[in-house]
Amino acid sequence: MNIHINGKAYSLGNEPQISVSSALTLHFIEPQQSTFAVALNGDFVGKAEYDNTMVKNGDSLDILQPIQGG
Amino acid sequence: MALNIYGENLDSRLLIGSALYPSPEVMKQAILASGSQVVTLSLKRQNPAEQSGQQIWRYLQEIIKQTNGHLLPNTAGCKTAKEAVTLAKMSREIFQTNWLKLEVIGDDYNLQPDPIELLNATEQLISEGFKVLPYCTDDLVLCQRLYDLGCEVIMPWGSPIGTGKGLMNPYNLETIRLRLPDATLILDAGIGKPSDACIAMEMGYDGVLLNSAVALADNPVLMAKAFSQALQAGEQGYVAGIMEQRQTAHPSTPTLDTPFWHQS
Repeated sequence: MNIHINGKAYSLGNEPQISVSSALTLHFIEPQQSTFAVALNGDFVGKAEYDNTMVKNGDSLDILQPIQGG
Repeated sequence: MALNIYGENLDSRLLIGSALYPSPEVMKQAILASGSQVVTLSLKRQNPAEQSGQQIWRYLQEIIKQTNGHLLPNTAGCKTAKEAVTLAKMSREIFQTNWLKLEVIGDDYNLQPDPIELLNATEQLISEGFKVLPYCTDDLVLCQRLYDLGCEVIMPWGSPIGTGKGLMNPYNLETIRLRLPDATLILDAGIGKPSDACIAMEMGYDGVLLNSAVALADNPVLMAKAFSQALQAGEQGYVAGIMEQRQTAHPSTPTLDTPFWHQS
């Protein structure tokens, strides 16, 4: 399965789909210890939905963090 | 007098951005010197495992704690209502606030807001409980539509973001103030000099949002103080009641019994 995380291509083996939680873990992210939010294919995924929302082949995951802004 | 934003009373009428400072420490000192209690920030793609974004986040949390202030997340970089709504929801989860500086850009050259997408996004976000502070052009009808949708705060531009050109079209800005007397109007973007901010306040604007003018000054901390004083001067001037302009000269000194040369 091939997905994009923050625009970068990743190959995640032969699984047909994985949860957002699993995708984040593969990306070395521990949801409880970092300040970030997630969108899947341009739609917001709340923290409470990470376990139930599935990432499939070709999907695009965005992980955003706070930065300076005007 | 206090600035009221969606029911919150704030001591300062200056809203300030957190970008472009020479260092996080200078950012912190400048924001504290400004007296502002509303600080804008944003979100960007970043891997939390790399921890690169954590330092600035810590600084911003410290500032908000010290000022008893509020974070105002923006939707910078969004070009459609859908993008803005998604980013708004992500911001709300992270920052735990319904306040949102809504930016939907329609043109990359001058970063001009897209009025159609802005209205669409505003309508969706208000229905989802957001308190929207829309960044918009100085178009009266657009501002009226935003107000009609439920925006208590409206933020027309002075000039394009980061230009420092000041108030490009004072007539438009004055007309918006005149026609929307009950809206909270924040002059957002394009401010270059403290006098620009002062003029906006003299027009009766409720506040000013700026970033580059302070962050890009040779001395951002001193410039932050200058803006704070300029806003106070402008506000007091407006409240005090500015005299009407007159077409011809009127002597200030009493003319009765003028000495010497006028007397025959």
